[in-house]
Amino acid sequence: MKFLTRAGTITCYFLILIIFTIHFSTAYAADIGNCLLCHKYPGISRVDQDGKLRLFYVNEGIFNNSVHVKVKCEGCHTEIKEIPHQPVKKVDCLTQCHIIEPSTEKKFSHKNASDFLSKSVHSKTDNTGKSKKFAEDMPTCKSCHDNPLYRPLSFFKTVRYGVSEASLGRCRVCHSSEEFIYRFYNHITTRLHKSRNPLNIAQVCSRCHDDAQVIARHKLSTRAVYSYGETYHGKAASFLDEQVPDCLDCHVNRGESVHQMHSHEDPQSSTHESNRANICSNMECHPGSSPKLASYKVHAEFNLDQSPVQYYFTLFFIILTGGTLLPLMGIIFLDCLRRLFPDAVIRRRK
Amino acid sequence: MEQHSIIKIQDGKKYFYRFTMNQRIQHIILALAVVTLVLTGMPLKFYDTSWAPYIYSLFGGIKAAPIVHKIAGSILLVLFLYHVAYLCYLIYMYQIVPLRKKRRLTAGNILKIFAGLPLIPNLKDAKDIRDLMKYLFFLTNKRPDGARFTWKEKFDYWAPFWGMVIIGLSGLVMWNKEIATHILPGEIINFSLIAHSDEALLAALFLFIWHWYNVHFSMSVFPMGTAFITGYLPEELMIEEHYDYYVECMKQSGLEHEILLPHGVHAESSHEEGKA
Repeated sequence: MKFLTRAGTITCYFLILIIFTIHFSTAYAADIGNCLLCHKYPGISRVDQDGKLRLFYVNEGIFNNSVHVKVKCEGCHTEIKEIPHQPVKKVDCLTQCHIIEPSTEKKFSHKNASDFLSKSVHSKTDNTGKSKKFAEDMPTCKSCHDNPLYRPLSFFKTVRYGVSEASLGRCRVCHSSEEFIYRFYNHITTRLHKSRNPLNIAQVCSRCHDDAQVIARHKLSTRAVYSYGETYHGKAASFLDEQVPDCLDCHVNRGESVHQMHSHEDPQSSTHESNRANICSNMECHPGSSPKLASYKVHAEFNLDQSPVQYYFTLFFIILTGGTLLPLMGIIFLDCLRRLFPDAVIRRRK
Repeated sequence: MEQHSIIKIQDGKKYFYRFTMNQRIQHIILALAVVTLVLTGMPLKFYDTSWAPYIYSLFGGIKAAPIVHKIAGSILLVLFLYHVAYLCYLIYMYQIVPLRKKRRLTAGNILKIFAGLPLIPNLKDAKDIRDLMKYLFFLTNKRPDGARFTWKEKFDYWAPFWGMVIIGLSGLVMWNKEIATHILPGEIINFSLIAHSDEALLAALFLFIWHWYNVHFSMSVFPMGTAFITGYLPEELMIEEHYDYYVECMKQSGLEHEILLPHGVHAESSHEEGKA
């Protein structure tokens, strides 16, 4: 009897498992190359020649909510022609994939972003085409980007995150494919606002701009993200405020791609001293502010070399705090001690 | 001004009148505003600590907490202005007007009025600090004979007074940065942020350690002093902290025969008796 009960329980679990498997396998887009046959297992990994553990697991649920949902595996991993396959090279983001860009009807690629990057402060070469010193420190696509998820917005009645079912009702009048409707909605609304929150942007930049070795090699004046984090903007970003400015809001000219960033010494740069006033006074930040607002030192640190005046000003308050509290805490300690021995007294010998 | 007898006797115990209703209401508003400001400000100063998001979320997180902070700051600013006006009114009505009636209103006399105000530090405070040190280092058994307001209370008064000027002005600059930077350079925001947050930390630590120890956590007061609510201080605390003023009050009320000796004198005299 006990055996039958146990067998029944196992059968039930098995049936539930099958139902779930069927549900998930039908809910998402088809894996044409059948890559998930192997890559669906969370443990699929190996240690590479450098001794690093490489994880090859693909979470289908997450991938289907990412901006690359429509791109087939072999669209990026172009070397793979058969299963099982040999070790492959890292993905080249400039590969032309099978997606057709609708305005030109050409195959899509991230080449434009790469072209912008090659003319920016983050380029590996200088204006003459020569390789920059420490060019290996300069970012490539994957230094900043992974496979981003959609961040859909709803603004049907109120602005909030997520898909507006009310809006989708309009789409369904003309479009019949649910998969297309959701993807199109996600794509458009994600691109209408920032695809990452300010904290996430700062974290990406901090990989290099807070790295002491990179700062020293490139003679940068500040730990940029650390000093940003000490401002109200940075602190609010750490509490996941979406409206405060992040690195890109100040360091990229309005209307240009984030890949077109220039050095603050370059007159084209938004942070060049001749353009800096426009950053703060734009309509979305501090409209009507004086150009003097932009002389606020966003990247000031408690550092004698970088910001001596701020350093001494902070030091004054540290001394004031210590000078006030330490004697008072000493009195509290002595008072507690004295109350334990209320009648004790050191008497002078006569 | 409301009139109260200096000494109230309840269940055979004496209580000494310390604070008017007006002052107690001012103090409670001040205390609530300061606690709110600390709870909505410190998570921002220590944004990278584990506790900061939890405290901040109690006030609605980054969307609401800065608004709560500004409301509490505005209340404190109005209270500060009211307090200064209240002080001016008291000095004018009870010091300047009588002097004018006596036709003795001279610059020297006005200066004397200010020097003699109960919360102005004086030589007696320096002497009390010296005597306290003697007591704390076991050189004597006798605590200093405190006046109506001791040096500790004057410190408790003037530290937040200075703090409110610094924190209030820097807070106003940061709140109205667009207007402020029409007049002042942008670096004023750097300095305002440093002054606002560092002075606030000093004020918070000062109040929550020093002030709360003296009025709530000290062994003779623990668990809570009630004078800030009732306005009255019990006799044993008056003897301990304000002995000079205690004797003065007792004499004024015709209770000279009931004046108790200060603690140390008891011990020293009994010690002497024992030796004899």
